[in-house]
This record gives sequence, structure tokens and C-alpha cells, in this order.
Amino acid sequence: MAAITLEKVVKKYGALGVVHGIDLTIAHEEFVVLVGPSGCGKSTTLRMIAGLEDITGGLVKIGGQVVNDLPPRKRNISMVFQNYALYPHMNVRDNLGFGLKIAGQSPAEISKRVGEAAEILGLTPLLDRTPAELSGGQRQRVAMGRAIVRNPDAFLFDEPLSNLDAKLRGQMRAEIKKLHQKVRTTVVYVTHDQVEAMTLADRIVVMKDGHIEQVGTPMQVFNHPATTFVATFIGSPPMNLLPATISGGAVRLADGTAVPVPDRLTGHVRDGMAVLLGIRPDDISPVGHGLSQDGPGAEVALTVDLAEPLGMESLIYTRLAGQEVQAKLYGPRIVAPGEVLTFRLALDRAHLFDAATGKTVRAL
Amino acid sequence: MIRALTTKRPEMTPFLLLTPALITMLFVVALPLVFSLWTSLTPYQLTKPQTIYSFVGLRNYTRLLTDPGFWIPFGRTVLFLTIALNLEFAFGLGIALLINKITWGQRGLRTIMMFPMMFSPILVGFQFKFIFNDNIGILNNALQSLGLTDQAIPWLVDAKLAMFSLLFAEIWMSTSVFAILLLAGLFAMPRDPLEAAKVDGCNAFQTFRHITLPFLMPFAYIAMTIRSLDVARAYDIVKVMTGGGPAGRTELLWTMIARTGYENAKMGQANAMAYISTVLSILFTWYFYRKLIAARRFMGGVQ
Amino acid sequence: MSAVVESRASKRAKSVALWIATFALMLVMCLPGLWVMLSGFRPNREILAKPPVWLPEALTLDNFGKIFGWGAEQIAIPVPAYFTNSLIIALTSTLIALAIGMAGGYAFARFRFRFKGGLFLGLMLFRAVPGVALSLPVFMLWSKLGLIDTKAGLIIVYVSLNVPFTIWLIDGFFRQIPLSLSEAAQVDGCTRWQAFWKIEFPLARSGIASAGVFAFLTSWNEFALASQLTRSTDSKTLPVGLLDFTAQFTIDWAGMCAMAVIIIVPALILTFVVQKHLIAGLTFGGVKG
Repeated sequence: MAAITLEKVVKKYGALGVVHGIDLTIAHEEFVVLVGPSGCGKSTTLRMIAGLEDITGGLVKIGGQVVNDLPPRKRNISMVFQNYALYPHMNVRDNLGFGLKIAGQSPAEISKRVGEAAEILGLTPLLDRTPAELSGGQRQRVAMGRAIVRNPDAFLFDEPLSNLDAKLRGQMRAEIKKLHQKVRTTVVYVTHDQVEAMTLADRIVVMKDGHIEQVGTPMQVFNHPATTFVATFIGSPPMNLLPATISGGAVRLADGTAVPVPDRLTGHVRDGMAVLLGIRPDDISPVGHGLSQDGPGAEVALTVDLAEPLGMESLIYTRLAGQEVQAKLYGPRIVAPGEVLTFRLALDRAHLFDAATGKTVRAL
Repeated sequence: MIRALTTKRPEMTPFLLLTPALITMLFVVALPLVFSLWTSLTPYQLTKPQTIYSFVGLRNYTRLLTDPGFWIPFGRTVLFLTIALNLEFAFGLGIALLINKITWGQRGLRTIMMFPMMFSPILVGFQFKFIFNDNIGILNNALQSLGLTDQAIPWLVDAKLAMFSLLFAEIWMSTSVFAILLLAGLFAMPRDPLEAAKVDGCNAFQTFRHITLPFLMPFAYIAMTIRSLDVARAYDIVKVMTGGGPAGRTELLWTMIARTGYENAKMGQANAMAYISTVLSILFTWYFYRKLIAARRFMGGVQ
Repeated sequence: MSAVVESRASKRAKSVALWIATFALMLVMCLPGLWVMLSGFRPNREILAKPPVWLPEALTLDNFGKIFGWGAEQIAIPVPAYFTNSLIIALTSTLIALAIGMAGGYAFARFRFRFKGGLFLGLMLFRAVPGVALSLPVFMLWSKLGLIDTKAGLIIVYVSLNVPFTIWLIDGFFRQIPLSLSEAAQVDGCTRWQAFWKIEFPLARSGIASAGVFAFLTSWNEFALASQLTRSTDSKTLPVGLLDFTAQFTIDWAGMCAMAVIIIVPALILTFVVQKHLIAGLTFGGVKG
């Protein structure tokens, strides 16, 4: 059993704080993705779990044992690095077997386990090559092979796909997911790519400025973003946020346009409250071209500024209450700039955030 | 013990690793420099050991600063270095650009270029003493055989010619430092800015002046820093080729230090000169090191 | 049509000019050394001959025989002893400087610490002290310590002479090795010490070797300090010994040239072996981070 627990974990470089007291519990065999913009402390957190960074404060436990003062080699974890960190002077076989050799395993055992790992990852024909002779995707697989061969308590991935091109990234993403299904182990995965986070994670941890903004399943994080940051970071294109005030049971936008407060939130707002109305582009669509046609909604006529046709859908830039918003049109229809269309806002899927704190106005 | 210390206080590890280096430097350089400073404040003479205890303040220095016998070799040294370093840079740049253009045998040429750098300066001195020798030197022999001159040219005997010969040897030895590092810079040069400049309508000279040269400067500063560490190697060359002669006309600061200290046994005076030369060398290195760091920062860290 | 011909002609002219320039350059670079080396294989009377003998009639090993005392004749200068001294002093000081420099270079390449930039600069500035200037106090101190005219005395000086530059180079070589390799090894079960010896050291090995060669040649070639700190066959090195010739009544040019060959050849071979790594180390290291 190797759950990983972080209690009030703090990292400082001198006076500069990078991680400000993180609490997180990762269950045994769970796939957790730490996601956030660069500099949010996600890699530092991962490296503290690995033992590659000193922990300034708080506790890190692996399998119930406090590991704060254990060097990496005593934590029984393995890690896949952003640049793969393959040993250039060893061939694939020796790269895979290095950890076992250090651990003093017998040559027969090493060869057996390296063979198994190579088989799982389709590396068998490449065993005698050196890293320099491998393609990016192959190197990536060797790095993963090196991680699984030791049968660790947890895998740590530090932006493993960011050096690959888009197509390969998609493939490797699927391979990582399959690998986790084959080799059930706790995984902590760091990325700045929200698509990777959504597709891979059992649970997503969204981080910003050394804090955790939200923890939840991909759907929770997508459907119920806890803060404006999560709302705009998860989902592409990002959620539109419109400044508004609550008045007379309605959300009044900057130009006076009023839309009703979504039903599920009526009890949670008070008059005069400054809010941000959050609504995803998918939920602003020309009438007849949206995802949801029923349920509560509001209709407004808006002028198309720019349309980007993507085939079966188009991304539309328009202005609502004086602010640029993005909207989506579903269906193979061409729209011209300047065209005025009636858009339907799917209010049951809209969010309200407290303008002062950025936190969601929650219907709990 | 070391392990206990490094695991308990990991921030001490780098200092532990550096301890041997620091101890050697303190013992062999810093301590002697302190001793040298003290000696320069005494009238110490090797033949009169007691003189090392009599403190005379800055008398050695004030004497030097008012003595043309010091200023002339000093000025000659500055002039010598100015000419040598500028020409080394200019030739080095020219050679680097030349070899960069050559496609065939480039590696071999690069290797050959390194050889002068690896020669013992004493050997370079001897080599040119042999070549510039007025009687049996290949240069005079060649000039006479070709009928360009009918009498031996006194390369190492005439003061002006001797200075020229010394400069020639010095430049021969050290140009490759510049050539090699500037060539490395040319190899590391990204193509995009060059192409962008071409598209923007720069001619060859403008491209060189505004794109190539600024990019090469950090490499030039590396070369300058390395050179500044051993400018005093010129001592070896002068020592072999002319010994400071004729009549002190090729005396440089460093040969003067050796003469005053060892031949005339005036250690106090010699240490004062040595101190002046040390401070100048250190300032010289420091200056180029700072330039190097600034240039690297400006370039966003070449490589 | 004619423009094409013209540009082709001018291109050819350019490449011819390029070759002439390169040839001239190589001539200036190689000829002096080659001439000295050639003269090492010629009898002294041929060197002194007037009118000059341009094409050697016969090459001979006599000069080397005289230097090493193989033949009947031996010159008064104990070159074999100098050679042994040079070798012992250069090798020992190189090994020590490498050990110290590896520790120091690794510290600069892999750790952040207070005064890092200052320490690095300080080491370089120590190296900048001119040999002659340093020789004065070292001479006085070594006299007191009884280290004058001993190999140990010179070895100590050469170690400190080589440490700064060795650190500069080795720092550069370690920097080229991504930190994540060592980290991966530590995650794979190595101690930092094991990670160093199994991963980082093998990868930096050729660079470290070239730093070693550079240190060796610095010691091998050094004159200013050696000429003051040595006296006799106990510790005199080849460069100092070369000047013994000038003290004789008539200059034995051929002997000097032969001795020059002995000094040059190791330098040539070693330079050839390491030139590639040396450039990489110089340009990469030292001043970043």
C-alpha cells in the first residue's frame, strides 16, 4: 500500500516561498495530476515527494512513513523526467537494468525483469541501442520502462510529454494511460497541459502560486470550478468571465443587460453583490446551433466580430456587455463578420464567482 | 565525519568540496602575497637577512614611482601588451573567419592552430632566437640567399628590431587563443539572425558589424580572460631571446623584477615592483571577466 | 551569360585567394616549429655552415644520442635527469590538481552557495598573479621551509597554478551533463556519491582527461617559477635545462634543437588528443549561474 500524503508542505529558497503549505492525500493506485502554469510550484512539489528537493516545512509520507529526511533512493519511487534523463553511455538494456543492478539484484533477475518491462513497452528490438539512436517517442518509452522495471511504490512524472510533438504527445498520453491500467501503481503526474490533466487523471490538483486551488475529478473540476483561476485554466477555449452585479434577483451586466440568476444559485446571492458571471464558450451559441436547447436560458442579439471555422464547429468572437467573449457555433455553417445573430446563453451551466475573492458562489 | 557533516548540513557540501582548492591557493598564493607585501615595505636584501625586519613604509614604492628606470620598462610593457593583444585579436578574428570559410580540412587546420598555444613559452623564445639569429638564423639566411640583403640584419641586437622580434614571437604564440575561441563562437552562431539581417537588407559588412561581431564578443572576452591570466608568459620569451638587452632596451616589467630580485638581490624593491605588476594583472583579469559576464548576460547566455 | 561566367570566375578567384591565405597562415604557424625540429636531426656544423646548407644531406640521431649519453659522446648537460624531473613533477602535480579541481569544479557546477561568483572570480584572480612576481615571495618562503631545489616544492606550486584553470574546465564539463541524470540515478537507488562515479564521472571523463592534459602541459612548459625554485639535477626541469646551453662557451644549436624536440613532442601528441574537448570546456564553463 503506497498512499502519498502531504501535510502543510512548504518550500522556500531563502526568503522566497515557492510552495506555501500544501495538504494533499493521494490514494493507493490513484493517478493524480498536478496541473498549473509554470512557476506554480507543481514541479517543486513533485521533487519534494521524490526527495530531490529539501522540504522546508511540513510532512511528506509515502505508505504511511514520513520520508522528509530520506534520500530519493530510500523512498522506493521512480521518476520520469522531462528530458528523459537516459544515461547516454549505456544502452537501453543497461538503462532499464541500472536501478536493479544498484540494488544488487542477480543478473538473471535483472535480465528477466528488463525483458518483461521491454515487452510491455515494445522496447525488445531496441535493447542494444544507445539513447542517441532512439527517436523521441522511443526515449520516452525507455524512461517509462526504467520507471516500471523496479516495481516501485509510486511513479512520478515530471512533464514527460512536453518535449514531444503534438501527434506523438497524443499517442504517448494514451500509452501512459494504458500502462497505468496494466501496472496499477500510485502515480503523481505533473503537467502544464490541461488536456493531459483531463485525459489522464483520476483526480486533478490545480495549483497556482504555490497553493492548491482545487482538487477533484476531471469532471468536478470542469463542471464546478472552485475559483475563476480554475475556470479559465481548465477547458479550452477558456471560460468567459463578465463583471456584473446582483440586483433584483437578476445578474446585471456592465451595460445593463440583465439575465436571471441561475436557479441553483438563487439562495446564495444577495442584492448589491459584485460578481463575475462565468460562462463557457460552449454555452453561448446561436439559437439552433448550441449543445443544449432546453433548460433555462437567456437570448441576446450579438454582432460577430470574427469567426474561426474548425469544420464541424466554429469559434466566434463577439462582444457582450462591452467585453470580448468567445462563443461556439455547432454545425458546418459559415458566419461572416458583422453578422448579427441571436445567441442563447445556457444559464443552467453558468457560474457565479464572488468578484472580491474569485471564489465560486456555490450551490451546496 | 565528512558524511555526517554533509547529511546534517547539506549547504556545507560545496564548501567542503572547495576546501582543498582554497587551502592550496591560500598556502601557495595568498600567503606569499602577504609576505611579498610585507617585504615590499622593507629594504630587504638577500645578502643582508636582517633588513627584512626594518619597516620603511612606502619608500620602495615612492622610489619606483619617481624613477625613470622603472617607468621606461613599465611603459614599454604596457605598449608591448597593447600592441600584442590588439594584433592577436585582429589576427585571431581574421584567422577564425578564414578557417570558418574553408570546408575541406577544417578540423586539421583547427588542430594545427592549437599547437602554438601548447608550446612552452621558453621554447617559443628559443625557436625565434634560432630563427632570428643574425648569423645562422633561417630568416637572414633566406634573405641573403634570395639576394634581398647582402649583410646580416641584427634582428635581436638592434633595439627596435629586437622589440619587433619579441612581439612577433609573442603574437605567434598567443594568436591561436583568440582564433580558436572566436572560431568556436562562429560555429556556435545561430543562422537565423544572419538570414534575418540579409532579408532586412544588410550588406556583408553590416551583417558582420551588427550581428556576427556582437555575438562573438563573449568568446573574445573568454579569450581575453584566458590571455590575461598569463600575459606574464612574455617573461620567458624575453628571457631567452634577448635577456632584456641590448642595454636594457627590451626590458619589460617582469624581467626587471627578476633582475632586481635575484641578480641584484634587492628583494624589497623587487617585491614592490612585483606587487605593482600583480595588482595590474589582477585588475586586467577582473576587467575582462566582468566584461565576459556582462556580455553573456546580454546575450542571454550563449549556449 | 557573361555575368554568369564572370561570377564563376570571381568565385574561383575567391577560393584561390582563400587557399593562398590559408597556406600562408599554415606556413607561418608550422614553419618555425618544423625548422627547429628538423634542426634537431642535423649535425651542428651543418647548422653553422656558411653559405647555409638548405637541404640536409643526412638526418642523424647523434644529437639525441649525445643528450641521453647513448653514444660515446655525452654533453655536459644532464638532460635525462631533467626529463625525469619534468615527468615526475608534471604528472604528480597534474594528478593532485585534477583531484582538487574535480571536487571544486563539481561544487561550482552542481551547487548553489553563498559567495559562489566571488569565489570563482577569486580563484581566477589568484591565477592571474604573474609567475615572476609570485616567484619572489615563494622563493623566500621555500628557502625557509627547505623546499628550494626539491621536486615537492615545485609540485606544490604547480598544483596551485593549475587548480583554478582545472576548476574552470571541469566546471564546464559537468555543466554540460544535465542535472537530471544524477537525479535519475539517485531515484534509481544510488547515493549521490554513487551517482557521481557511475553516471557523471564517466560522462565527463574525456573532458576531465583534457583538463588533465592542459594541467600537465602547463607544468611541463613552466619556466618563470621553475627557473628560480630549482638549482640542480634534483629538481631542474627541461625548460630550465634548455637555458643551460646558453651558459656554455659555444652555443650547441643542434643540441638545443634536439632538446626542444623532446619538450615539443609530448605537447604535440597531447594537444592532438584533447583539442576537441578543450575548446568545449573553455567556452562552456565558468561564468554561468
